[in-house]
Order: sequence, then structure tokens, then C-alpha cells
Amino acid sequence: MTKYISILALSTALTATGAAAQEKLTISVYSFAQDAYKEVLYDPFEEMCGCELVIETGNSVERMAKIEANAADPVIDMAVISSHDALSLARKNLLQPIDTSRLQSFDKLYTAAQDPIGDNMAVGYTFYASSIVYRSDLVSIESWNDLLGEKLADNVALPNITGTQGPLTLMMLNKAEGGKPGEFAGTISAIGKHADDIVTFYSRSSELAQLMNQEEVIAAPVGRFAWSRFKSSPLPFAWAEPKEGQAGGMNVMIMTANNGNEDLAYKLMDYWLSTEVQTRIAEALIDSPANTEVKVSDEVAENLTYGAELINSLNILDPSVIIANRDAWVEQWNNEVIR
Amino acid sequence: MSRLTIWLILGTTLTFLIGPFLIVIFAGASAGETLTFPPQGLSLKWYAKVFTVESFRDSFALSMFLAIFGTLTALLIGIPAAYALNRYNLPGAEAIRTIVAAPIIVPGIIVGLALLRYFVVPLDVTITMALFVTHTALVLPYAVRVVSSSLNNLRADMEEAAVILGCTRFQAFVKVVLPNIRGGILAAFILGFVTSFNEVPASLFLSGPGVRTLPIDMLSYMEITFDPSVAALSALLAFMSVAIVFVAERLLGFSRYV
Amino acid sequence: MFLNRSEGFALALPAALFTFLVFLVPVGILLSAAFQAEPGVWSLQGYVDFFSESLNQSVFLRTLKLGILVAGTSAVIGYAAAFCIVNLPASSRGRIFGLVVLPLMISPVARTYAWIVILGRTGIVNDVIVGLGLSETPIRLLFTETAVFIGLLQLFLPLMIISLVSAMENIPRDVVPAARVLGASWFQVFFRVILPLTKEGLVIGGTLVFTGALTAYITPAILGGSKVLMLETLLYQKVNVSNDFVSASVIAMILIVMCFSANLVLKRIASVRS
Repeated sequence: MTKYISILALSTALTATGAAAQEKLTISVYSFAQDAYKEVLYDPFEEMCGCELVIETGNSVERMAKIEANAADPVIDMAVISSHDALSLARKNLLQPIDTSRLQSFDKLYTAAQDPIGDNMAVGYTFYASSIVYRSDLVSIESWNDLLGEKLADNVALPNITGTQGPLTLMMLNKAEGGKPGEFAGTISAIGKHADDIVTFYSRSSELAQLMNQEEVIAAPVGRFAWSRFKSSPLPFAWAEPKEGQAGGMNVMIMTANNGNEDLAYKLMDYWLSTEVQTRIAEALIDSPANTEVKVSDEVAENLTYGAELINSLNILDPSVIIANRDAWVEQWNNEVIR
Repeated sequence: MSRLTIWLILGTTLTFLIGPFLIVIFAGASAGETLTFPPQGLSLKWYAKVFTVESFRDSFALSMFLAIFGTLTALLIGIPAAYALNRYNLPGAEAIRTIVAAPIIVPGIIVGLALLRYFVVPLDVTITMALFVTHTALVLPYAVRVVSSSLNNLRADMEEAAVILGCTRFQAFVKVVLPNIRGGILAAFILGFVTSFNEVPASLFLSGPGVRTLPIDMLSYMEITFDPSVAALSALLAFMSVAIVFVAERLLGFSRYV
Repeated sequence: MFLNRSEGFALALPAALFTFLVFLVPVGILLSAAFQAEPGVWSLQGYVDFFSESLNQSVFLRTLKLGILVAGTSAVIGYAAAFCIVNLPASSRGRIFGLVVLPLMISPVARTYAWIVILGRTGIVNDVIVGLGLSETPIRLLFTETAVFIGLLQLFLPLMIISLVSAMENIPRDVVPAARVLGASWFQVFFRVILPLTKEGLVIGGTLVFTGALTAYITPAILGGSKVLMLETLLYQKVNVSNDFVSASVIAMILIVMCFSANLVLKRIASVRS
């Protein structure tokens, strides 16, 4: 019976729009770890500002397409996405510059996070390392080149070119082969030659976790944010430290143009970047901090991409390089790798 | 055909159709942390977890609403259309048929994107309304086709007889046609309900902040964790469906009409 | 008979108008992009470009092949199953039919994930293969066309069975036994009696299955992955990754034309047979 009551309630909701008197802030975030985010960020923020947070989740590209489609009348006020997707939106004039004077913790951020895509169009809130996760009982990984080697043939997965991890893997394979930075044509051809040895090109880290737990795949490159899923598995997974180093990426906060809700959006960004909240997020093992003042225990640090030394050692792929080349990469990938 | 052959064919077909469903039930009852079969020990913890996920409750209510009222609306306008197309020698009937059938063959992604860009945004339609309209449009072809097929097999001279005997066209429809196509309508409702309830690609673009249908919610939940609670939820939904079919069978004698 | 045409139009109008306004108009605007090289300039360049790429050609052929295979296989299984169902005693018929409908109730998302568990290297299928000594090590079934085929078949077979069962319901009960008594073989019974009387159901079922297989997104995405692209997954990539709405519209047009053609071809075959 309650089912029908809720249906009735919904049908009235169909006609009633904007009945809520409370102020609303609509944000768009990764669908990752929402329960934990609710506890350490959303709930305390709602209590603090006396407003209501409406959360839109999904992966970067889907949410980006929506922001673009709604450009005339922005539904999303503030979003967190990958740095190259942010740059892509900025170039389409869908973002407004961030007034960094309204962010109290701005000076505490790592320099790389302060203005990652130029013109203050974004602020970095988390870093992540990217490396190869593998079954330590079956194989050992010394180099990114091992991905295309004999020992992993028929048992390896690579991230799809279309995701954020794909270009990072290309960059590291390219580096391992001694290729010219930023020019991946040779690397894509090399992957194409080994296409039959690769089980699949995954697009979500959860999908990969499943494949690895089912022993379909014994090694694959993945972002550190997914590590907790492998760590909790009964199978012996290890995080590789290849001789070429680890790749790295950053996710950023952006503000949509003309959203009319800037005050609340700044409040949330300010709160999210604060040492207090960044520490809570780190301790919940969700996102690694971009705020230099965050101090966590060794045990927590172990699971994150934490500390200046590690962050500075990461191989970073310039967002503008990704945007400038992605179409060409995808085209070559389509013709040589998936055919 | 011998009974043995019949049951052999049905048994094989049903194993293929239902097997994965059984696996979903058991995978959902795993004591382990990932979706595996056979499960790593048995436990109901994932079934219990389903009820604690707030977004599942909200999206379930939304999906129920869309499936029930979207399908009813589709039947409300679809049955008269099917009747007109079958019983009136309309010029351009084929064109009308094609228009009404169109939503079924346009890929869902294009539907979602087209409606978002050229319907929802310019007209400032609410997300729930947009989903409702889309789901109704997507279900309508099923309603018209299945009811048409049902009408096609019902001889028109029965209604003519009723009209000759003094019924109005409407009375003839209600008293003669409707009872005879009840099975078709029910089949159309079930098909429509299912189509709407499980629809993903069109809703993917149309789901908005805080308003998501259940399958989309399940997909994004899977993106977060790959624990067996999605399997448990699917199993619960399937049980609900069995109950619906069972009740339909009891109330309307479904099997007489299939 | 019913000569009052305006009454007929009035009955059909709400459905047609509804679909036209909230569906065809937005989709039409979007699809018109498939015929515009740039806004306002009409051309077929999009199609030329699309088919000039070898990947697109192979994706197109694969989609067509899988669509036909899935529709054909489900017709064969569907006839066998539907014939069995209508010949069941009334008491068990409803229950069996319920079981056929049941998979449709389960979210395609979950069902597709179930196939990952079944077809995987540690799955049941590989357990049997290795157990029987057919292969020494588990073989790779996931992310192959076979996996996509199985997933799609399981997803859409019920639609075919439902369509055929409703069609067969209308065959007078004694026709088949009568034909048998008069000496017709099962082969003759099928082609001379059952098929002509159920062609409407076959056309509906065939169209539903073929269209479904062509426009399914989740199954090829999950079981085929990015290695076994179909038109729908390619389209998704165009929209979501490259923001290439022209190519996306071209693919959508191709899919729509394929579905329409399938419906026409099936209807045509049905009318020739009778």
C-alpha cells in the first residue's frame, strides 16, 4: 500500500515545481563513494549552510554532455570532473573563472592544484596516482612494457582510450618505449599488434575489479582511487612501482557560467577544500588531499596518493595535449586496435 | 508430439532463460564481497543492504510511477488508436502506424539526447515530467502493436452484430470488443511495464540531479562498488514481477488469453 | 463497414499527435544533423565519411550479422517453445508462460552481469569444458561476439515466444491434429499450416527481436566491451566521448533504416508466403 501512496505523492510532485522554500545548490560529482561523501561532506555542509544539496552523479563524460546540453539554463551550479574535461568545458565558454579570494584555503593547496587549466577556470581538489595492479602470486611487474609482454598475453586488460585512464597508460607505455613525449601513434600501433592478447579495454574501475576478482584478468593499469576495491579482495593483489614511475592525474572543481547560485557554490568549494574536510575525506580513504596542511597517519597515507614527494614524482599528462589529440588517438585506436 | 519432447524443449529453453536469474538470486545471497557463482558462503546481508540504500527507495518509487502511469497513459491513447487502425479503413493508416511505432526503433540514446536538447531544455520541462513523457512514448508502440494483434484476431462481425442489434459503437466496443481483447491489453500492460521499468539508454540522459530511475541508479551503484547488492535487488524485483504475473493470472485468468 | 472516417481519425489522433510532438519532432531535429555537413548546408557527406572508415564498415556488418542471427535463432527456438506452450494443458500453460515472461522482468543490467559470471574463466561453462577435457585451460569467452550473441538471444527470445504464443492461440485447436491425421509430415504441418497462420506473430516477434538486438546498449557494452563494438556502442562513444553529433546522427539514421527495412522485409516475406 505504501507503494501506491508514494506513487500518489510522486504524481503530485509532477505538477508541483520548486515548492521548496529552502535554498538549493545542485552539484555534479563522480558516482564514487557517495555514502562516505554524504557523511563527511554533504550532511555537515547542509547543516552548516541551512541549504539543500542536490547531487547529480555519473562519470565525467556523461555529466559533461549534460552540462553542455543545459548551457542556456544551467541545472548544475558546481561540478567536480577531470582536468581535461574541465578544460574542454572552459574552451566552450561554459565555465566562469573562480574568484580565488573567496576560497580561504586556496593558499594551502599544492601549487599544481591552484590553477591547473589556466585563467582560474578550475581548482584541483584531489590527486591520484595511476599504476598497474596485478596478481602478485602469478606474475611480477617491473615495467609498463610488461603490459604488452609475453607473460601477460591473454590475461591483461587496458583502460579504454575514451576514459581518463586510457591516455595515461599510453603516456607510460610511450615513455617505456622511449618514444617522444606526447606522440602516441607508435604506442597505439604497438597495442594494435597485441590486440588479440588483451582481454578487453575496460571503461570503469569497478568493472576491472570484478574481472580481476574472477581471474579473467591478472594485471591492468588503474587509478589509485580504486585501490581499496582490490585491497579488500581475498586474492593477493599488489600495486606496481614500475621503473618508469607512476602516472598521475588531478580532479578539479568548476563553476558553470551564469548559474546564479555562486554564493552557495563558493561556500561549498571553500568548505570542501578546507583542511578539516580534506582530512576527513582522506581518512575515509575516498580522495587524496590537495590541501598541503592535511596530516594523516602512515596507515591512511599508504592507501592514498599522499605527500609532496609522491605527488611531484608522478608523470602528468597536460590536459591541453589530451584535448588537442584525443580525436586523432581515438581514430587511430579504432582503426588499429579494435578494427 | 510426445509429452517428453514437449517438456524437453521447454526445459532447455527455460533453463537458458531462467538460469541466469537463478544465478542472480544465489550471487545476491553470497557471503563474499563480489558477485560470484557459486557464492562464497550463504548470507542474506546483501538482501538486507538493499533496503538500507536510500537512493534505491527513491528510484524504485520513481520507476514504479513511470512504469504504471506511463503504461496506463500509453494504453489510454493506444487502445483507441489500435482500434481505429484495425476497424476503420483510414487513408494514411500505414503512416499513423509508422508514427506511433517510431519510438521503438529509434535508439534510446538518441531519444534521450534529442528530448533533452529539443524538448526538455527549450520548454523548461521538469525532469520527472520529461521521464514520464519519454516512457509513455516508448511504451506506446507496444500498446498499439499488441492490442492491434489481438484485435486482428477478433472477428469484426461480432461488433457489427452488436451494432445491428442496437448498440452504439461505443457500447459495442465496451461490451463486445474489450472483454475479448482483455488478454491482449494485459499482455500489452506487462510488456509496457517491463519496458519502462528496465529502460536505460533514454533515461540516462534525462535523469537529472536527484531524480533517477532504478536501473540507472543500479548502474551508477555498480560504478561505485561491485558488491552483490545489485544482484540481490534484481532478485527482489524479479520476485515482485512473479507476484504481479501470479496476481494477474488469478484475477484475470491470464493463461486463457495468452 | 466502418465508414465514419472522422471518427476513426479522432480515435487515432491522440496517440499519433503525442508521438509526433514529443517524440518525432525532437528526434527529427537531432537526426537532421545527419544530413548537414555544417548547420544549414544539406549533404550526404556524413554517410560517405562514415562508410569510408574500415572500423565503421566492420561494426555495421557485425551489427547486421548479430541482429539476423539473434532474430533467426529466436524464431527457431521460439516456434518450438511456443508450439509446446500452446499444447500444454491449461493448468500449466499460465505458469510456463509466466516463466517465459519472467526474464523480461529482470533488469538487463543484472542479467548481463550474470553472463559475466557464467561465461568467465572460472564460470560454469568453463568448468564443464575443462572437466570434460575439451580444453586444458579455461578459454576466453567474454568479450567475444559469441558472448554478445548469447546475451542478446537470452534478452530478446521471450519477446519472440510471447508474439508466437499469442499468434498460435488463434489457430483453431483441431487444425494441426487434422493435418496430421490426413498424413501431413511435421515439416508440412509447419510450413503449410502453422507458419501461414502465425505470420503476423512472426513479423511482430521478428521485428521486436531484431530491433532489440540492434538497439541494445547494455549487452554489447558489457559482454562485448570496446573490442566487440556494435553500432549502438559506437554511437554512444560518438555522443559521449567525441561529442560528434553528426556521426551519432548518421549511425542513428542507419539503425533506424535497418529496423524499418527489417519490418518491411518480414512483412513482405509474410505476404509472399500466403
